[in-house]
Amino acid sequence: MMSTKAFTLVSAVERELLMGDRERVNIDCVECCGRNLYVGTSDCFIHHFLLEENALPAGTATFTATKQLHRHLGFKKAVSELRAASALNRLLVLCDNSITLINMMSLEPVPSGARIKGAMAFALNENPVSGDPFCVEVCIISVKRRTIQVFMVYEDRVQIVREVSTPEQPLAVAVDGHFLCLALTTQYIILNYSTGVAQDLFPYCSEEKRPIVKRIGRQEFLLAGPGGLGMFATVAGISQRAPVHWSENVVGAAVCFPYVIALDEEFITVHSMLDQQQKQTLPFKEGHILQDFEGRVIVATSKGVYILVPLPLEKQIQDLLASRRVEEALILAKGARRNIPKEKFQVMYRRILQQAGFIQFAQLQFLEAKELFRSSQLDVRELISLYPFLLPASSSFTRSHPPLHEYADLNQLTQGDQEKMAKCKRFLMSYLNEVRSTEVANGYKEDIDTALLKLYAEADHDSLLDLLVTENFCLLTDSAAWLEKHKKYFALGLLYHYNNQDAAAVQLWVNIVNGDIQDSTRSDLYEYIVDFLTYSLDRELVWKYADWVLQKSEEIGVQVFTKRPLTEQQKDSFNPEDVITCLKKYPKALVKYLEHLVVDRSLQKEEYHTRLALLYLDEVLRQGPGASGKGAEVTETQAKLRHLLQKSDLYRVHFLLDRIQGAGLPMESAILHGKLEEHEKALRILVHELRDFSAAEDYCLWRSEGRDPPYRQRLFHTLLAIYLGPGPSAHELTVAAVDLLNHRAAEFDAAQVLQLLPGSWSVQLLCPFLMGAMRDSVHTRRTTQVALGLAKSENLIYKYDKMKLKGSSVLLSDKNLCQMCQNPFCEPVFVRYPNGGLVHTHCAAGRHTNPSSPSPGART
Amino acid sequence: MRKPDGKIVLLGDMNVGKTSLLQRYMERRFPDTVSTVGGAFYLKQWRSHNISIWDTAGREQFHGLGSMYCRGAAAVILTYDVNHPQSLVELEDRFLGLTDTANTDCLFAIVGNKVDLREEGATESQEKEGHSPGTAGASPKVPKHVRLEDAMALYKKILRYKMLDEKDAPAAEQMCFETSAKTGHNVDLLFETLFEMVVPMILQQRAQGPVQTVDISSYKPPRQTKAGCCA
Repeated sequence: MMSTKAFTLVSAVERELLMGDRERVNIDCVECCGRNLYVGTSDCFIHHFLLEENALPAGTATFTATKQLHRHLGFKKAVSELRAASALNRLLVLCDNSITLINMMSLEPVPSGARIKGAMAFALNENPVSGDPFCVEVCIISVKRRTIQVFMVYEDRVQIVREVSTPEQPLAVAVDGHFLCLALTTQYIILNYSTGVAQDLFPYCSEEKRPIVKRIGRQEFLLAGPGGLGMFATVAGISQRAPVHWSENVVGAAVCFPYVIALDEEFITVHSMLDQQQKQTLPFKEGHILQDFEGRVIVATSKGVYILVPLPLEKQIQDLLASRRVEEALILAKGARRNIPKEKFQVMYRRILQQAGFIQFAQLQFLEAKELFRSSQLDVRELISLYPFLLPASSSFTRSHPPLHEYADLNQLTQGDQEKMAKCKRFLMSYLNEVRSTEVANGYKEDIDTALLKLYAEADHDSLLDLLVTENFCLLTDSAAWLEKHKKYFALGLLYHYNNQDAAAVQLWVNIVNGDIQDSTRSDLYEYIVDFLTYSLDRELVWKYADWVLQKSEEIGVQVFTKRPLTEQQKDSFNPEDVITCLKKYPKALVKYLEHLVVDRSLQKEEYHTRLALLYLDEVLRQGPGASGKGAEVTETQAKLRHLLQKSDLYRVHFLLDRIQGAGLPMESAILHGKLEEHEKALRILVHELRDFSAAEDYCLWRSEGRDPPYRQRLFHTLLAIYLGPGPSAHELTVAAVDLLNHRAAEFDAAQVLQLLPGSWSVQLLCPFLMGAMRDSVHTRRTTQVALGLAKSENLIYKYDKMKLKGSSVLLSDKNLCQMCQNPFCEPVFVRYPNGGLVHTHCAAGRHTNPSSPSPGART
Repeated sequence: MRKPDGKIVLLGDMNVGKTSLLQRYMERRFPDTVSTVGGAFYLKQWRSHNISIWDTAGREQFHGLGSMYCRGAAAVILTYDVNHPQSLVELEDRFLGLTDTANTDCLFAIVGNKVDLREEGATESQEKEGHSPGTAGASPKVPKHVRLEDAMALYKKILRYKMLDEKDAPAAEQMCFETSAKTGHNVDLLFETLFEMVVPMILQQRAQGPVQTVDISSYKPPRQTKAGCCA
């Protein structure tokens, strides 16, 4: 069993001081109240001493007792019990079965001679029920058989308040409130003297051993049980603490929180009430008195008085921690809460938790350690500093003094065990990750994040990148050196980027891609760089690496120019001319870039359009003439070219037409001719060269887009004329003509068409066209007739209005007043508004409109 | 110290494995234990309640303490050793009387521990039977092991002893367990079944207010209008 040093035993009253050389005198009882120490002896003396405590630096103390008075009580019997009632300034003395009251200072009996007679033993109620501060409650075991009496004791009088009988003869008593805890002949009981209700606790044998009944606190007693047990019992008759295990022959017990102290013939033993373990054993021979007085524990042999001086709890806790007994230390610390001032306790307790945390940590009990660190708000750097090289060189941290633990570093702690070391590192990783965003980190975020970065880098942990791409406080120089050491170049780049050193970052990544340095973090690092440059606001940087990215891949590299976010584009930081110059060496990239300018950004600049068309054309030509067949197997580039030629109006048509001449690209030629409004040429190419009649039809539609219907009609008529014109394959074209007429009847002027058609064609052949044309014609006629009718009706309405206005006469007399100026008319000239209002001509001229009728009036 | 909300007490003859059962449950291990002196207890947090579990000493010497430990108990676990029929008999003879101080609605669980030893023994005896098939069933001596039915019979007896209606009390099938602290067999089931049943009792008790404890701190002495010295 591991031991704790909780108490030291010091002498208080030497034998010589007490009894000189009188050999046969024994100490029978002791009382201590404040600095006053009273000793009752077998020869009926009471001795009064003053105790002087001299604290020693080691946390203990020595005592010197100065003799004050001694007085003989006038009997031949021993003084069997002494109790002080300091509020009354009285000492209660049991001698010869009688309790007398004597003055605490003078040791004189009270003049009234008040006493309690017939007492075998007594106990003071430390939890009195009366509430009167100038009264103590005393409970006695009466000389009357099986009787307990309760008295109120005042300064100079006593008063019996209750007498209760017990089922067996009581041998010892303790009292708390209304509850008596009694040792009877065969068992312990709790007896409520107010209600008379008794509760059995447990049996014991009084013949085998002397009972012990000791009040240890509010409503709780300590009893000597069978088998040397120290049993706890509450007034409710239950046990709330597990028993402590004493020796069989314990004669006295006392409590000095959190310890239970027991005395037997040879030893003083100390058990903790918190975990029931025996903590200390002090050899002490022939002791027969052990009592605690307001926290001071006194033991006595028949010849001398000694004090058990408790070591300061802090010292005890430190001792426990030193022997790695964390659990016990914490229990003791928590238990000490109520004995230490709050402020002091909190500081102390925090420190203890931290120390305990480090002990758990050293034993790799990480869960426990974490909880202790967390609850004690440990300065995380204390922990980090255990790991070599983790704290940044610039950190101002020094470990707290006195140290929280005994370890220089992790190597010492793990004794070089790599596995343990790795575990410790994993723990620190998770712990730092948890605390870095809490208030614990305030003030030293740099230290924490830098340490975390180092751990991640060393362990090749994925979170390294997460750390670097989110808000962090990693110190640049320290972290950079570490990342370099562990070949985390990609991460190092991220670190540079986070510290606004994009140039360094990109250079590093480029080196990785080039294979100058090795880091396989990202397999798509090239794309990453392109992406990075695309979103970089640093133009210099983009220019610097443009060639590099383009050399790697024209299509992807060009994205640094083409995929730039729009917001930046508006600032137009990149001049297209510059880019194009740069891209001259990279035709594929150039095409992409021009596409970007022409298609995505819709820049209306002839040069780009022409250039793009030329590049397409070159490509098409390069791909060879095989591609120039009929529509179906058009290459992608060719499709793009055609699309551009059709949609754009900005390129130089003649220039392209020259280039295309003889290249065997009829479709493209047709489009270009169309751009020049040379429709007949274009259509001839489509019809005669390509024989693509649907393309010819599409051409008509395309070119007439947004034009007026006659323009469109003209185009279709041109096409029809070409179909009907003389040529080698007249039959095929005739069919095409018929189809065209039948399908596009609405696009033609039927009258004109009929004149063009050869007379040999059957009506059957052109039936759909003719029907369409007829229906159209009839429809037109009818619509026109309706319009005519409507116009006529409208005209009639106006005529009616005019007639109505002209039909009636207007009477003007001097009773009529001008509606404007309210004056009579003096001349037969007036203006009349359609609503009948009459005004002067000059008034009407002054005001053009009548308020009630906005239309101009008819003058009469 | 946290005050427990409810109490469960382990009773039973010495050496049936009370301490081992509790250690298996609380600490998930099966260490060698020494004979328990006096008693010990653990606090177990179950839901939001603190339940104290008392391990008592089976030795005759500490028998007298049993009543006090049982006082106010919400549940009592009566433990025997399936390999020692006498330990079941002892439950009725010696330990049942201790539970008189428990709550009136106290639950009883009867637990036969050390089933791991019975299984070992069973395979041995089977082997024996294999060797001498003729003797099978010929010697109905004292039963070597306790059968679960015997425990259930005891449970019903206890209900009668407590004058409880079988219909109101939990069924014997539910309250009789066979466990092994060594292998952990049924140990969690035992304790957790009891916790589940004890928690509603705690809540009910709370609703009714304290029954067992007399709170003297709230006691107010009748005001006496005696003329004091300063009156």
